[in-house]
Amino acid sequence: MTDQGNDLKRDIELGTALSAALEMPHHGAFVTRMKALARRAARPRTWDEVLAGWFWQGVLTTSVVLAVVLIGLNSSDRDATPLAGEESVAVQLIDAQRPGADVILASMTGAR
Amino acid sequence: MTGVDDSELAARASGGDPEAFGELVDRYAPMARRVAYAVLEDQEDADDAAQEGFLSAWQALGRYDPKRAFRPWLMQIVVNAARDLRRRRRVRAAEPLDNVAAAARDDPAREVGEIHLGEQLRKALATLPERQRLAVVLFDAEGYPQAEIARMLGIPEGTVKSDVFHGRRALRKVLGSVKEEWND
Repeated sequence: MTDQGNDLKRDIELGTALSAALEMPHHGAFVTRMKALARRAARPRTWDEVLAGWFWQGVLTTSVVLAVVLIGLNSSDRDATPLAGEESVAVQLIDAQRPGADVILASMTGAR
Repeated sequence: MTGVDDSELAARASGGDPEAFGELVDRYAPMARRVAYAVLEDQEDADDAAQEGFLSAWQALGRYDPKRAFRPWLMQIVVNAARDLRRRRRVRAAEPLDNVAAAARDDPAREVGEIHLGEQLRKALATLPERQRLAVVLFDAEGYPQAEIARMLGIPEGTVKSDVFHGRRALRKVLGSVKEEWND
């Protein structure tokens, strides 16, 4: 509880208590892990590590290319398929069952 | 490498010397982990943030100006790493440090009262806004000047002063009541 009136001065008692309260265990393990990471980052990568680094990019690119090809195939198939059930004008005109077809046919031939 | 100063180590680490970088980690890991804990209030997250901070610092060593003190430069990076991690892991439930740290110490000589004080202080810290926590920890526990803390946190010096004042008020109350318990 020192320096209560002076907020520009460090409170040593509170600081020491806080420092102890926030002390984290396993300092050695943390430092060892960091050193290992630093050593790994410092040495040049071997060819298999380089290949491994490209693995996910390769998978992603292949997936995108496959997706584009499949979408392209799908849409070209749809364009090539004839429209089902659509009849030509000629077929409609000679269809005796169709109401009004005979009138149109007669008017077309009668005009000659 | 214990006698070598920080800027010399930073220059060597910048040249790709992992041993020099390891020495810097050894020196500043306790502080970096405490500061990261003050932001994240979770031991695992604090370690992750400290680790990210150190690795970012190593990658940024080429841009480090040796005329500036190394310690606040590093702590600024650690604080940023901890804040980034907190934004990413906001949903994760916090693991309290008290049980973990107390168990990990495994030191029968340590006073029960000291552990109790630690628990109370961490609880009190958790009630403060993040900026106040950081200001008090950086000022009182880590000994940074208020002007330096202002630069680190990107806030005016007056705000740091106010944060330290308000943060201390809550923490001193806890410290006082635990001391009273000891005296009884």
